[in-house]
Amino acid sequence: MSDKTKFWVLLVLLFASLALLWFVNSNLSHILTDQFH
Amino acid sequence: MVTFVTFISLVVKVLVSLGVMPKLSRINSCLLVIIIVINAYIIAAPFAPTTWFWWQSHHSQQRTQLDQKAHRQKVAKPQPNSVIIPSTLLDQPILEGRDTYTILNKGIWRWPGSSTPDKNGNTILIGHRFTYTNPRGVFYFLNKVSVGDEIGVTWQNINYRYKVSNIKVVPPSDTSILNNTPRPTLTLYTCTPLWWPKDRLVVTAQLENNL
Repeated sequence: MSDKTKFWVLLVLLFASLALLWFVNSNLSHILTDQFH
Repeated sequence: MVTFVTFISLVVKVLVSLGVMPKLSRINSCLLVIIIVINAYIIAAPFAPTTWFWWQSHHSQQRTQLDQKAHRQKVAKPQPNSVIIPSTLLDQPILEGRDTYTILNKGIWRWPGSSTPDKNGNTILIGHRFTYTNPRGVFYFLNKVSVGDEIGVTWQNINYRYKVSNIKVVPPSDTSILNNTPRPTLTLYTCTPLWWPKDRLVVTAQLENNL
């Protein structure tokens, strides 16, 4: 795999990780399971 | 997405033309490290409360004791209403009001329809076991309470000592725990199991004496 391909793969993974981080830290997951806990 | 890829390509080309573009392999290494750190945090975050409890239980000298707190309060200024459970290292104020969601997000809520410690009856305290935005709810460790454990409540500057008499898991539809009781009783109510709150954990304690 060339460095250029690796770069794009890692960039996608980075944004996927950031999206997951935002999801677990935001109110979105709370809204999706809005119940007493 | 296409715009974003074009933008990144343009930035790379500009950096290369300016001669300030680091080697792509170095950038890849940095990206990999950042991705690993982010995902390590996501995986480790749910275990943080348990680790904190283990550390506090084994290494901290700040384990709160009912008698120590009672002594402090005798010489201190008027104290807010609060509940203390030494076996779970919990020492939190009791909040009042009718805005359920707002108050529960702040801490322990005394259900307005219940009694208060200075009266005979059932005092019901409700708290989150966890929240998604703050994994450790006030009753996160309530499952560590055992029958016979002590619970202290400060209510209008008077300290009450309760002893846990019963622990049970009920479905959310079971409202019998809200019933009033002839004896002064403290009922703690939260969700169980952790992360999948399909049932309710109910800890009942009977009044022993005033401290």
